[in-house]
Amino acid sequence: MFSYIDFHKLLQLFVYDPQDHIYFSTSLFLFLFFALLIVYRLFAKSRNAKIYTLIFFSLFFYYKNSGYFFLLLFFSTFLNFYFGNWLYKTKSQAFKRFLFLFALIVDLGLLGYFKYTNFFIQILNDLHSGNIQPLDILMPIGISFFTFKAMSYVIELYIGSMEPTNSLRDFCLYMFFFPNTLMGPIDRAAKFLPQIQSENVITKEDIGRAVFLIICGLFKKTVIADYIGLNFVDRIFQVPLKYTGVENLLATYAYSMQIYCDFSGYTDMAIGIALLLGYKVMDNFNVPFIATSIADYWRRWHISLSTWLLDYMFKPLQMSFRRMRIYGSALAIFLTFIAVGLWHGANWTFLAFGLVHSTFMAVSLITLKYRKAFYDKVGLSGTKTLKVFQIFITFHLLLIGAIIFRSDSIPTAINVFHQIFTFFHGAVFFQWIVGYQKVFILVLLGYVLHFIPISVDNRVQKMITKSPLIVQALLIAIMIIVAVQVQSAQLQPYIYFSF
Amino acid sequence: MISDRLKNIILKELNLESFDFKEDTTANQVPGWDSFNHINVILAIEKDYNVHFKGLEILKVKNIGELQKLIDSKTQN
Repeated sequence: MFSYIDFHKLLQLFVYDPQDHIYFSTSLFLFLFFALLIVYRLFAKSRNAKIYTLIFFSLFFYYKNSGYFFLLLFFSTFLNFYFGNWLYKTKSQAFKRFLFLFALIVDLGLLGYFKYTNFFIQILNDLHSGNIQPLDILMPIGISFFTFKAMSYVIELYIGSMEPTNSLRDFCLYMFFFPNTLMGPIDRAAKFLPQIQSENVITKEDIGRAVFLIICGLFKKTVIADYIGLNFVDRIFQVPLKYTGVENLLATYAYSMQIYCDFSGYTDMAIGIALLLGYKVMDNFNVPFIATSIADYWRRWHISLSTWLLDYMFKPLQMSFRRMRIYGSALAIFLTFIAVGLWHGANWTFLAFGLVHSTFMAVSLITLKYRKAFYDKVGLSGTKTLKVFQIFITFHLLLIGAIIFRSDSIPTAINVFHQIFTFFHGAVFFQWIVGYQKVFILVLLGYVLHFIPISVDNRVQKMITKSPLIVQALLIAIMIIVAVQVQSAQLQPYIYFSF
Repeated sequence: MISDRLKNIILKELNLESFDFKEDTTANQVPGWDSFNHINVILAIEKDYNVHFKGLEILKVKNIGELQKLIDSKTQN
């Protein structure tokens, strides 16, 4: 029977191919992960065997996605492990500081080289009308995530807020851990490392939560995000001027849901997969669109990045600007959000996104006292009306950021705003619903699911926890089938409405 | 032991009537002690005790007990 198997092709599945990644939603991953769980179960009694299995699998996962860049992951791991431990033991404060800055500069230097070199070349060209050729730099996948993970170790050791680990093996597992190397959550060494040495018992509740998260994640990522992205959002943002303002606005609403479902769906799966292996990684999203202010939003959106920047950048900056009081805080916000913007990529749009958010935050901070006094005066403080109003305003401020973030250039973003404000044609809305029925239903479903109370989520999770393992497996299988169906569905044809 | 002097500075800065401060109380357990009010609290402590903290010293502090120790170490010198 083996004559039917093409071993060469089979082997190819395990070799890096730039066109063929293994994300959590791919069938190869699901198959290999199932095999991993079986091996993991066989090694239940040996902690060492489990750790080495995870390290090996994680390295394969990273190699399969980024080829020889796994050497860079090794480098980052060794550098931060040895420098972290060295600086922790160093008595001289000056030398400690030197080691710390050295590790930081190498980390950020590598990140900067891969991420921003061509952006700076472009800026130089624009400034001097020069003609420096852009370099042929391929960005290692997940570099922004694993670099920040590694830096958290060195920073915490420098501050003295955690004890170092003496085990390079444990640190490797922290750095390579496949559920979160590619897209986060950006876990903290202080939270992850102790778990490796503890009896990581997987409870029934953990399995129930993991199944719930994997199902939700697959649904959000493949059914909602990928579908509305391909069939609607991408088209509008490619040439916004071809569409009316109402379509541009709808694309913005749809995009906000798309990026939320895409990113939070992926991290839900990461958290669920990690739970099945006995590890608890950081939460990353907490119903961001019910935020009542931009600051509240950043406590709910990409939490692992926002708390990283809050702890390691904003707080130190704010402390050193403290004599400037509220304006010092505003300056720290401004600088932190430039970092938020640049972290997302090398483009003026990301920088503008950071500036817009920092402006919102700074204005919000400076006017907080006056707004509170006003709400007290008109008797709105603490009312539901005020909360709904704040959610509505916050959400629409976020849309401004979303338009800039999604556009491939500043002129594209300007075109989107231009269409919304000068070429609205509201009547097209009804034609749009008819023409894009599925997109409309999915976007609506996304928002409805987003706004249902968290208690409903908890109840569903409890139901899954109580159901037998076979039912849980069946639920995941059904979700996979649905996901595959949606992935292979034909693209919706382009539609241009008359107005 | 958290001194009354420190307790009063914090209560005054956060506009609180009273709060049961313990050694292991952290900022996020105290109403109104967010990252923006944090610098006001630190500045008020520096002014009242006439001390100056280094950035790293403050970042290391995990709870009120450690804050008290930091102040003590500065005032004893």
